[in-house]
Amino acid sequence: MTLYKRFFLSQFVFVILFFLNINLAAQSEGEQIFKSNCAACHTIGGGKLIGPDAKEWLSSDRFVSTDDPLGTLVKYVQNPADFGVLEMPAQALTAGEIKQVLDYVDGYVPEVKEVVTSIEVAEEESTNPVIILLIVTLILFLLILVLVSVKNNLKESLSLPTETVFESFKNYVTINRNKIIIGFVLFISLMYLLYNLMMGVGVVEKYQPDQPIAFSHELHAGLNGVDCNYCHSSAKNSAHSGVPSANVCMNCHAVVKGGDDKAKNEIGKIWKSFGLDIETDDFDWNKLDTYQQTPIEWIRVHNLPDHAYFNHAQHVTVGGLECQQCHGNMQEKTVGQVATAEELNKIDYNIKDGIEFDHPTLTMGWCIDCHRQKEVDMEGNDYYTEMHKNIKEKHEGVENFTVDMIGGLECGKCHY
Amino acid sequence: MTNTKKYWKGLAELNNDPIIEKLAQNEFVDELPVDEFLSDPDINKSSTSRRDFLKFLGFSTAAATLAACETPVNKVIPYVVKPEETVPGIANYYASTIYDGHDFASVLVKTREGRPIKLEPNKTSTNARVQASVLSLYDSSRLKNPMKSGEESDWDTVDSEILEKLNVISSKGGKIALLSSTIISPSTESVIADFSNKFRNVTHIQMDALSSNGMLEANLENFGVRALPTYHFDKAEVIVSFGADFMGNWGDPDNEKKYSKRRNPKHGNMSKHYQIESTLTLTGSNADERIQIRPSEQAGLLSNLYNALNGSNPDKRIAKIVNSLKNAKSSIIVCDSNDKDVQLLVNAINNKLGNYNYTVDMSNPSYLRKGNDESVAQLIADMNAGTIDAIITYNTNPSYTLVNADEFNKGLSKVGLKVSTSLFMDETSSKMDYICPDNHNLESWGDANPSNGEYTLMQPTINPLFNGRQFQDSILTWIGSSETYYDVLKNLYSSWEEKLHDGYFTMNKIEYSLKSKFSVPSFSIPSSKGIEFEVSEKISMGDGTQSNNPWLQELPDPLSRASWDNYLTMSASTARDLGVKNWNVSNGALNGSLVNITVGDKTLENVPVMIQPGQAIGTVALSVGYGRTHAGKCGDGVGHNAYPLLNGGIAEITLVEGIHEFAAVQLHHTMMGREIVKETTLADFINDPSSGNHREKYYTHDGPKTSDQVTLWDDHDHKTGHFWNMSIDLSLCSGCAACVVSCHAENNVPVVGKEEVRKSRDMHWLRIDRYFSSEMTKERSAEEKISAIDMYSEMEDPSENPEVVFQPVMCQHCNHAPCETVCPVAATTHSAEGLNHMTYNRCVGTRYCANNCPYKVRRFNWFKYSDNEKFDYNLNDDYGKMVLNPDVVVRSRGVIEKCSMCIQKIQEVKLNAKKSGSKVNDNDAQTACSSVCSTNAIIFGDSNDSSHEIYNLKNDPRKYDLLDHLNVAPSVFYQTKVRNKS
Repeated sequence: MTLYKRFFLSQFVFVILFFLNINLAAQSEGEQIFKSNCAACHTIGGGKLIGPDAKEWLSSDRFVSTDDPLGTLVKYVQNPADFGVLEMPAQALTAGEIKQVLDYVDGYVPEVKEVVTSIEVAEEESTNPVIILLIVTLILFLLILVLVSVKNNLKESLSLPTETVFESFKNYVTINRNKIIIGFVLFISLMYLLYNLMMGVGVVEKYQPDQPIAFSHELHAGLNGVDCNYCHSSAKNSAHSGVPSANVCMNCHAVVKGGDDKAKNEIGKIWKSFGLDIETDDFDWNKLDTYQQTPIEWIRVHNLPDHAYFNHAQHVTVGGLECQQCHGNMQEKTVGQVATAEELNKIDYNIKDGIEFDHPTLTMGWCIDCHRQKEVDMEGNDYYTEMHKNIKEKHEGVENFTVDMIGGLECGKCHY
Repeated sequence: MTNTKKYWKGLAELNNDPIIEKLAQNEFVDELPVDEFLSDPDINKSSTSRRDFLKFLGFSTAAATLAACETPVNKVIPYVVKPEETVPGIANYYASTIYDGHDFASVLVKTREGRPIKLEPNKTSTNARVQASVLSLYDSSRLKNPMKSGEESDWDTVDSEILEKLNVISSKGGKIALLSSTIISPSTESVIADFSNKFRNVTHIQMDALSSNGMLEANLENFGVRALPTYHFDKAEVIVSFGADFMGNWGDPDNEKKYSKRRNPKHGNMSKHYQIESTLTLTGSNADERIQIRPSEQAGLLSNLYNALNGSNPDKRIAKIVNSLKNAKSSIIVCDSNDKDVQLLVNAINNKLGNYNYTVDMSNPSYLRKGNDESVAQLIADMNAGTIDAIITYNTNPSYTLVNADEFNKGLSKVGLKVSTSLFMDETSSKMDYICPDNHNLESWGDANPSNGEYTLMQPTINPLFNGRQFQDSILTWIGSSETYYDVLKNLYSSWEEKLHDGYFTMNKIEYSLKSKFSVPSFSIPSSKGIEFEVSEKISMGDGTQSNNPWLQELPDPLSRASWDNYLTMSASTARDLGVKNWNVSNGALNGSLVNITVGDKTLENVPVMIQPGQAIGTVALSVGYGRTHAGKCGDGVGHNAYPLLNGGIAEITLVEGIHEFAAVQLHHTMMGREIVKETTLADFINDPSSGNHREKYYTHDGPKTSDQVTLWDDHDHKTGHFWNMSIDLSLCSGCAACVVSCHAENNVPVVGKEEVRKSRDMHWLRIDRYFSSEMTKERSAEEKISAIDMYSEMEDPSENPEVVFQPVMCQHCNHAPCETVCPVAATTHSAEGLNHMTYNRCVGTRYCANNCPYKVRRFNWFKYSDNEKFDYNLNDDYGKMVLNPDVVVRSRGVIEKCSMCIQKIQEVKLNAKKSGSKVNDNDAQTACSSVCSTNAIIFGDSNDSSHEIYNLKNDPRKYDLLDHLNVAPSVFYQTKVRNKS
């Protein structure tokens, strides 16, 4: 393959990725509603999950048999209890929103995950540390020469035999050979141990404490395809992503009581936080106030120190990051875990954004890694319009702006 | 030279407490038994040498250090059923009302995860005490259960016993007295009326700690309405106040706001304000001209003023006022006297000047004071006569605030059933049989009708912290009502939800048919001798209701700049006559003499004296609100109780041995000829808007140049995004200190206590500097050929009747910041938005930055102030910590902290704009200080936004930078003070 062809191909891949990217970013409203309200129980074309396949919704007898199938479906969704269905919770959606969901379901084509083949890595401009080392060595060598010549001068004045640099070196080594070798090895290994010990302080990668409930992200987010935001609903709006309150779990688990004993036991713990027994009691949404409520005490997995302020909304809603970019593929894990930097470097979204972490997760260097590499979307948010215009004027000729160029490294953005 | 003075550290020492004596003789109580263990014969057999010991020590230190590196396990506990309106991390605001019997404010309550953490003004402005009341909610000395004869009890027992006794009393036709503060809640009035109907012989008496009875009675006689007028200070061309501190503690909370509308010189109709008073008040310090009188002269001068307006010769002190009033189109005369005849005269003068129905509005009266001194006196007489069978107190503390508290207490012991509904075991409730603790305002439902047709609602923003019950619900329980107070309240108002959302509304305006029948009592100016005493009221402590609030205790008084104290204020010449002194000790802290003061038959012993410029010669004053005995750990024993001397009069003062240690935050009171506060007069300002605002110049080979023209600094780029600037208008700043408390609440500023404040280790991020004018000026010294040494030493002394200026100073966010360049670890850095960031976790505590800061606004954490029993204030208390703002970190020991320009608020506003994809709205970005500033002296905004007010203020001819010659290019700037005088 000629160089020319290669270049052309890489451009082609880039263009395709570019369009895919836009599609990813511009989720339709129907899709958003489906993901946050329906996906917990329904798949699209994936067969029956808890509720029926979304593709089969309109062909259900319940609606086909009526004069206005669509209108009936809308009423059904807004209050299934009217139709004698207790499994499905009522959805606070307007008729328009339900139609958007149906449109989305109609036009849904299963996503094909593309594999990214080429990544452009920006060249490092900083000085090569090897050069610095060489310079230091040279200086030290010169120093030795000077010292030896001083020594020889002194010896000469005492009319003792003088020796060259190499002779002195050879003499010294032959006398102290073992000491030098042992000392050198010991020193290096001690420093290495100490360095690793110190750098490991406060590093919490792979932290995965046992939780009161053996919750599986793999089952919920992976297999059932529940959107992360369905449970961690405040991530879009607030600083905290939030651990879902038990009533959110009950949206499904009032009905879904688990297939085997183990699952039933775990789900039973949610019931227990309402003071109910999963085996014998009934759950009634109208009686919430009368239940003996005891909150579930989860162990916090992602602990930022008090002096670091982090805001989910800024990253998820404004920055448009995917959850996986910092949390890894949680949809493949059980209970919450701090992802390792290596793991994050393999996430497709990070590869596509050109983000490569050098520092352990949840350390400051890790944050900075991303802020130095992640490009900012310079269009589409009116808040930024004027600021971005000014920044472009300031950095004439620069095309790609990273977070640090718009103030993303300022101390006061995270520390106050 | 021998020193024969006796120094003592507290009352216990003065009273020769045996323990103190023992301690004094034997400072180290238990001597270390060194001899004992050294003489141990086995000591040499021990194999542990000194070196081993050090090795163990080193090992255990290292082990402990490494063990501390382990990450702690934190829990995260979500709701079981999350309330729909609550999103963790996002604040909710609820409209509510604060009313504690003394202060009233319509507020927005900021809550985070269900905890109220901050109050913002809604319909009315909020003063320092209202701002601090959110901390009083979390006061752990609040009663946690109903009490029966001093023991904790439960509601069932207490209710059944009270009810039984009430029924017995009622069936015998016995008298029940309900003693409360002024009630401004219509629903509470209706509940009380139901109570009266049920138990028949019930008298409801309202009392105010600082009574306005004289004024109310005068208005009743003149107009037929027992209420206070609403004053329109914004319509008055000339304002004459005889002692009334209307911007601080007197009257409507919005007086200051209205007053300030006509104090901006730019608008061209600046009012002229005269204050005639003996004790320097906040209002007096803002006056264009202040005249000092003795309290006894007030009535006579008012008489003289009335006659002068009718053509006779005025007293020479008020001749100028008479002239101004004659030429003015509109005016207001106010007076703080509690004498009905004096107030009749004030009304007559206002009538003579045609102020009624224009600046003084009696058709829309204010109901904030209703207390009746005669009824209270009658009650005390009845109680002592034994004719009262039951007493219930609500929202009032008569055993502390009454001038004749002794008589009240004596009478109280003769009452059969004594019930208090206080939140605290205070002076009164500790003498009661039963205490049925009320809920705090922020836990309560309620309504308020502060003035004609104006209503506000109060709603709970947190579940009651303790097992208390609202007073109204207690009453409803006792009358056996099936309704709760919430039902009663809700039935009173239509479109409830809308009203509750807004928090205030207008309805049921009463059309008063006012009679106007004026009488003119006449007074002469007495020629009294001796020192006259009057009580004063501090902006921080008010009537003393919240004296257990550490924020308020630590708030420096705007005038004396002392915290944690009350003291006798006295002019320098009176002090000299009495041999009383104030002096600074080696670390700069202020000490003062002690005196005994006797007024009438009441004596206060060992009262410290503060020499206060502005206090009229031959007068002294002591502020109320201190000397509590049952307030709680923070308020008990601070200062002296001035209430017994409430009526004032001739004082006998004798100097006694001993020294008092003050905790004052400002030790130098004059500007020493420097232009720290630039000021000019209205006449000069009209000629030249930049008058008084002259920049210092450096002499260079190119001729004189201003500092920014000879700069060595490279400018930061502030054009691409926001540029946050703050303007402080010194003409409008009244020194009310609401901003200081607001800053405390917003930024988790710790309270450090009196000892630390005395060492100048106060932590306030925002301070309000106060400067007095001096008789000596550079001009005078040039004219009279006074040497520089004499000039400067005389400049240190403030005038006896000084002009006063207030200057709020917080971090100036220099764009050429001296602190940033000297920080060895880059813990303080600059942002593109014009802010000086402070990264606490990076700071190693060299304090180099604080040394290099020309404004001295950086504060050092000498100790860990949270969870430290040595600093037993709100940060060492599980309840008190609930007031902390979760968006701001609690600083640890050894780091510098300072004003961040409320960066958490800026970030929040920016994020909201980003989320909605729109620009930041003009007034959305506010700091804690700017949002509570009732006079709009503090304006905050983005000066890159040319539509924002701050843009114009930045280019105003009055704008100047503090210490401009340093060329530190601050993001905070000031506007010249303009006084309305020729």
